[in-house]
Amino acid sequence: MTMLQVRGLSAGYGAADVLHGVDFSVEQGTIVALLGSNGAGKTTTLRALSGLIPARGTIEFCGSDLNRRNAAQRVVLGLAHIPQGRGTFGDFTVEENLAAGAYTIGDKRQVAADIERWYAAFPRLAERRRQQAGSLSGGEQQMLALARALMSRPKLLMCDEPSLGLAPAITEEIFEIFKSLNREHGMTLLIVEQNADLTLQFADTAHVLESGSFTASGAARDLLGSEAVQQSYLGV
Amino acid sequence: MSTWNLRYAPASLAAVFALGLPAFAPDFMLFEFSIAVSYGIAILGLNLLLGVTGQICLAQGALFGVGAYTTAILNVSFGWDPVATLPFAAIVAGLIGVVVGLPALRLQGLQLAIITFGVASAFPQLLLKMDTLTGGVTGLATDQPMAPKWFPGSQEVWLYGLSLICAAISIVVVTRLLRGDTGRMLRALRDNPVIAEALGVNLTKGRLAAFAVSSALAGLGGGLFCILNGFISPQSFLPMKSIDILIGGIVGGITSIAGAFIGAVFVVFVPGFTTDIDPALGGLIYGLCLIAMMMVARQGIAGLRIEGLQKAVLGIFRIKGLSRIPGSVPGQLGGE
Repeated sequence: MTMLQVRGLSAGYGAADVLHGVDFSVEQGTIVALLGSNGAGKTTTLRALSGLIPARGTIEFCGSDLNRRNAAQRVVLGLAHIPQGRGTFGDFTVEENLAAGAYTIGDKRQVAADIERWYAAFPRLAERRRQQAGSLSGGEQQMLALARALMSRPKLLMCDEPSLGLAPAITEEIFEIFKSLNREHGMTLLIVEQNADLTLQFADTAHVLESGSFTASGAARDLLGSEAVQQSYLGV
Repeated sequence: MSTWNLRYAPASLAAVFALGLPAFAPDFMLFEFSIAVSYGIAILGLNLLLGVTGQICLAQGALFGVGAYTTAILNVSFGWDPVATLPFAAIVAGLIGVVVGLPALRLQGLQLAIITFGVASAFPQLLLKMDTLTGGVTGLATDQPMAPKWFPGSQEVWLYGLSLICAAISIVVVTRLLRGDTGRMLRALRDNPVIAEALGVNLTKGRLAAFAVSSALAGLGGGLFCILNGFISPQSFLPMKSIDILIGGIVGGITSIAGAFIGAVFVVFVPGFTTDIDPALGGLIYGLCLIAMMMVARQGIAGLRIEGLQKAVLGIFRIKGLSRIPGSVPGQLGGE
């Protein structure tokens, strides 16, 4: 089943468009990767999808037209966005960050249960539940941002450059978490990354973005090591 | 001493002081403290807006004036009991505050400061223009609620009690707001509006709601001020009033509830003290006081911990120790 269907999506900042009419879809239960170098329009795509910037084109998510919904309503529909650079609230404790992630959930018992559930999945966060998020390491903050996004009970989790500023071993750990979320919880993921080799090992399908348009799309294993991917990074 | 004690020290000290005051303060001083409480309520609103949600409003003095004029007009033109007008003073100022806050949806920081200060600058002139309603230059004189016969204390004690009740209501409203989801949402808006939005917080509603509550508190404080003073005119609400309220907020401690009232006492009494020291140099001494305050207590008086106070006093004598406090200052002016 198609969860997200995007057609002719254009978006940008001010008068200039960064994204020039891209089309793609995300099937339920898959991991989809958007690859590309700096300035290709990856982050812009995610921002347009989650409603943080205005966009043109059609975005259909689980049968609803997202264009007429603001960012907050899209979260309620089940779209979660982990922005670039994690964006955990440094002055909040780990637990407060998690609670903030459940802003759209009214049921307090469900929130408490979900917090415990993700503590069980991320024991490192449980150990630091009363610590300020600003004192966590980069990898822990990425985990916290991930758990916080899961608190809204999303159907589709969008993650913007999870590897940013993380050691390779930690990045791999984060991707393993993505994989297990996908396998064990049936989570659908849309991941934006620069680290193409690693991402293609975990993703099902991938799209390569260059200057706001797709230059290659297909099954991740076919793109792994393909010329199109190498070109998009080296040919800038 | 446990951290709990330290955390609540400014609040408990302020509460004990406020309740014990009528026992030893003379009536004229009690009147000044009541005025300080009315400012404290307006400062509390600003602390919520600036300290917690990170939005600046330099029209707080004008909104204070809106509350004062609402009370005065309802009393003078419509014959309402002054105390009964207070909820309406809060509501009217809250509604106008939402309009003042509309630019905040697009602009933050310095731009918002200038826009709101524009409102504060225009306000006294507007009062003069609408003289059929506001009495123009002559102002409005209102009835004072008299102490009932059974009340043992003086009229001043009665009015002081009324001020404390208004303050208590405001404190309850703000504490309830700051607790739980709403409080987290407001702080999230300050720390990172984009992330807050990505988590499903409605930026528009959140920002305007903060403006509404902050302005309503300014209106309540203004209504109370009108009752206490018994007379208001455009002179009472010059643009400088908004700056005084901001100074009170920052000197008291912009993120603190007790700090709002401590700051109000500071701005009401300290200019008078410094003039007492030397009538000609009062302004100079007050200015130096403000400079010294920010060097010693960046987080405001309420932000001083007991051991911090010790360090701060020592710091005055060690130039190197000055203004080297690491970390960001909550509520400082700046963009997103």
